Amino acid sequence: MSVVSFAFDVLAYSAIFILVVMGLGVIASMMGIFNFAHGEFVLLGAYTVYLFQERGLPVWAGMLAAPFAVAVVGLLLERTVIRRFYAAPVAAMLGTYAIGLSLREGVRGLLAGQFYSVISPLVGSFDLGDISVSKWKAAVILMTLLVMVGSWLLLTRTRFGLQVRATLENPALARASGISTDKIYAATFSFGAALAGLAGGLMVPIYSLNADMGVPFLIKSFLAVMLGGAGGFEGSMAGAAFVGASSAALPWVIKPVVADVLVFVIAIAIVKFRPEGLLSRWRSS
Amino acid sequence: MDQDDYKPRLQSYSRRLFVQRAGLLSGMVALGGGSYLLNPTGAWAASPIKVGIATDLTGPISWGGIPNSNVAKMVIQDINASGGLLGRPLQMILEDTATNEALAVTKVRKLVQKDKVDVVFGGITSSMRNAIKDTIVNRGKTLYIYPQLYEGKECTQYLYCTGPTPAQQCDTFIPWLIKNGGRKFYLPSADYVWPHVLNAYARNVIEKNGGEVVGEEYFPVDHNEYSATVQKIMSNKVNVVFNTTIPPGVAAFFKQLYEAGFQKNGGRLACVYYDENALNITPAHEIEGLASCLDYFKAVNDPYGNKLQEKYSKLFGDKNPFTAGSAATGMYRGIRLWAEAVRTAKSVKREPVAAALDHARIADGPGGGSEVVPGTRHLKMNMYTAVAKSGKYEIVEKSNGPVMPGECA
Repeated sequence: MSVVSFAFDVLAYSAIFILVVMGLGVIASMMGIFNFAHGEFVLLGAYTVYLFQERGLPVWAGMLAAPFAVAVVGLLLERTVIRRFYAAPVAAMLGTYAIGLSLREGVRGLLAGQFYSVISPLVGSFDLGDISVSKWKAAVILMTLLVMVGSWLLLTRTRFGLQVRATLENPALARASGISTDKIYAATFSFGAALAGLAGGLMVPIYSLNADMGVPFLIKSFLAVMLGGAGGFEGSMAGAAFVGASSAALPWVIKPVVADVLVFVIAIAIVKFRPEGLLSRWRSS
Repeated sequence: MDQDDYKPRLQSYSRRLFVQRAGLLSGMVALGGGSYLLNPTGAWAASPIKVGIATDLTGPISWGGIPNSNVAKMVIQDINASGGLLGRPLQMILEDTATNEALAVTKVRKLVQKDKVDVVFGGITSSMRNAIKDTIVNRGKTLYIYPQLYEGKECTQYLYCTGPTPAQQCDTFIPWLIKNGGRKFYLPSADYVWPHVLNAYARNVIEKNGGEVVGEEYFPVDHNEYSATVQKIMSNKVNVVFNTTIPPGVAAFFKQLYEAGFQKNGGRLACVYYDENALNITPAHEIEGLASCLDYFKAVNDPYGNKLQEKYSKLFGDKNPFTAGSAATGMYRGIRLWAEAVRTAKSVKREPVAAALDHARIADGPGGGSEVVPGTRHLKMNMYTAVAKSGKYEIVEKSNGPVMPGECA
């Protein structure tokens, strides 16, 4: 029975983690930009849901609105700031880091540095014999699957997806074929931001709303994207599943503080022996 | 825009440009957060006494720093309204330490060297206290008063601690937990100095009172996945979870514990920094029955505390409440005790004020009066045990008079 609860907990954490990494992975793999403001996009999604709750509106409506709200923020940032960084990935990291810091401190000011809980649309847990399974986490696992499949279909089976991939492969040829790469970059970035907003909205009932809620996910998300490497969108998902599952599973056998470090050590070892990561793509371009 | 357009601009990134930008950046970092001056109102014949407040108005600890600075403002205004100290008004110089120890050292250096303040209050985390104390006390030759509940063992001369110590938070609380929870304890903790030292003390008290520590575990401070620990707690049939994980990680932990059915099975959750402010971190039903032990709760319902609360809300609203876990009560006692010492010493110089502070007392305060235990630079004060019920605290036990700090004796 503890095997079931173990499996569920690992699955639930991996799902949350995949949800967070998805937006980052889309932007990193499709645009070659490491978005250091990603954690704050997650935060903005969570904040949107909190605003709905505070105004007495249903929380699920906030969760629906979160990706759109964050997409708009992402679009504005792309049009004004991010587009200037496409040729300089390192400057992009610093630039997005600065944006993230401003967003984080802005939200902190709005919350007066406080923590707030958001109550999930599904409260409580199912009792399966001796173990309890959180209803909301089960719902998050399902929604993660849906979003994964949806995003994958969007990027591989639609005209938009084709244009995105063409822009990634060869921007000059894409432009020559009549694709506005400018618009594609803007759309991709705000799509990535929307995914982050959705992740924030769905996970805020599990954690609590505070200005730093995106921070612990950020570095591990980068690890996931690096692990995924050049494999594009699917690669990031695989990386996220690995990092999420090992972060949740390792503390069952070793000290949590050691586990936290070990996740990085294992991931770095994998990157070492399978070096077709993002860095190699940067080097070749 | 075309990506190729950026190439020339990148190549022209000269050394001069780099130096200019690096200079600008380091200048911005050095200036950091804000610095505020609150001058006394009205006409005063004498020059002001300078009170330095260094606290975290921004960054992760701002939930504590904001009420700290609010309380300081309120008490200093009160003192000025009733004629100041020694016929002189108090001037408050507030520095935002931004939850950043390196920046804080610069800030307190400014307070003691440039502003030449007569006393410094502030710091919330132990790491902050450790970072700034030397600059204030040894190199700055200034009195330092630290307001937060903490792990004890701070016996630096000229450094006074006005928050509760492990002895005050454990000696009566743990026997209560054994009686109202059970004998089997689990100590899940954040991996930094306060939980480590507090747990060592708590373990001792638990074992002395016939209890047993089933597990003690440390997590990175922002950890957010606790299923392994929750499983161990449930399968070992633990009675009391004595928690020292902190926000933000604590929210995920309490939720997982609740969803696993810990409270439903009769388990007791305990956490000694949990105050009214912390009740917002998780939905009320997830921490139903949580027990805490602090120097003040609103539920103590003492007339003096109520009056302070009313005044505080009128001045600052309710977004950053006046509570014990954020060190706001410690800040209140600290400034009042220091003011008493200045009156007794008839001076603001360090030596005479320290000598007077050594046995200073105030008859009232939130939760009751308090006094410095001579020779220890710590306070004895009333302690209260409270239990969370539907998002509010109920006082279940009050200490039998002031409790000794048990430090630096």
